[in-house]
Amino acid sequence: MTSKIINMAERIKDAEDRLLESMFESAPIADDGFSVKLVKRVRRRLWLQRLALPVAAVLGGAVAIRPLADLVTAMANLSFSVTSIVPEELVTATAGLIPQAPFVVLGAMLLAVCLLGLRAIDD
Amino acid sequence: MRHSDDHQLVARIVSGQDTAAFGELVRRHQSQVRNFLRKLTGDIALADDLSQDCFMHAWDKIHGFSGRGSFIGWLLKIAYTTFLQSKRKSKRYAEILDEAGHVAEAESRLYSVQPDEVTDLDKLLAVLTDEERAIMVMSYACGLSHREISEATAMPVGSVKSVIFRGKEKIRTSFDIKDHQHG
Repeated sequence: MTSKIINMAERIKDAEDRLLESMFESAPIADDGFSVKLVKRVRRRLWLQRLALPVAAVLGGAVAIRPLADLVTAMANLSFSVTSIVPEELVTATAGLIPQAPFVVLGAMLLAVCLLGLRAIDD
Repeated sequence: MRHSDDHQLVARIVSGQDTAAFGELVRRHQSQVRNFLRKLTGDIALADDLSQDCFMHAWDKIHGFSGRGSFIGWLLKIAYTTFLQSKRKSKRYAEILDEAGHVAEAESRLYSVQPDEVTDLDKLLAVLTDEERAIMVMSYACGLSHREISEATAMPVGSVKSVIFRGKEKIRTSFDIKDHQHG
């Protein structure tokens, strides 16, 4: 009820209001490529956003692969010292696997990048 | 009808980042937004730059559009915020220039009309403060209701009404406009 009264009061315009409306009135501005330019800008931004993650992953992967490999090797060496309580057969089997660790990490990273890339294309 | 159309377009953008729907919204409302900013700044090029920024902000914040009010009201709220931010930035820039011993020209860029193209409306807008100008333009040029202006400016409806009253009073005293003369 109160809002109806407010709306009614708002609609009752005096001569001054009508004069101001006519003074503020202006011709519509032609689009002239404004919206096209904006949509292009939005699309470009979307592409950049979609591209940013895979590119960052690849670059990060390239930078991190060496330290990661070193870390894995160090971890493996550490595990050798701890494996005295582990049965001999298990230690031999793990030792055979450890030299492959950097390749496993690289493979996992490539897989992650491929999955992200596929998701970006899918989007 | 138009409101529900706008809301459908917004829903398409929110659900699927539909740039075509966004393009349609821009086409529909660019004239009002650009007009609003041109009247606020008095500078066509600056207003168009700010309009672009406004629509880009709208794209970023479209998930926040509740759909309760009109889309143009929400858009003008962003346009007004964009204008205020730009003004703050140029004020800071002017201060830096001032400190460096240069003439502060950046701030004067906001609401600066070329002397040879001053219209009656420009004279009228020049006597108003930024806030009064924004509210008067929203009310008289964009046709927003007091409630919509209140949402756009984050001011209570009562304050919006007093600003409009004050603005009219200023115009009346500066230009000798009287109610009975135009009745």
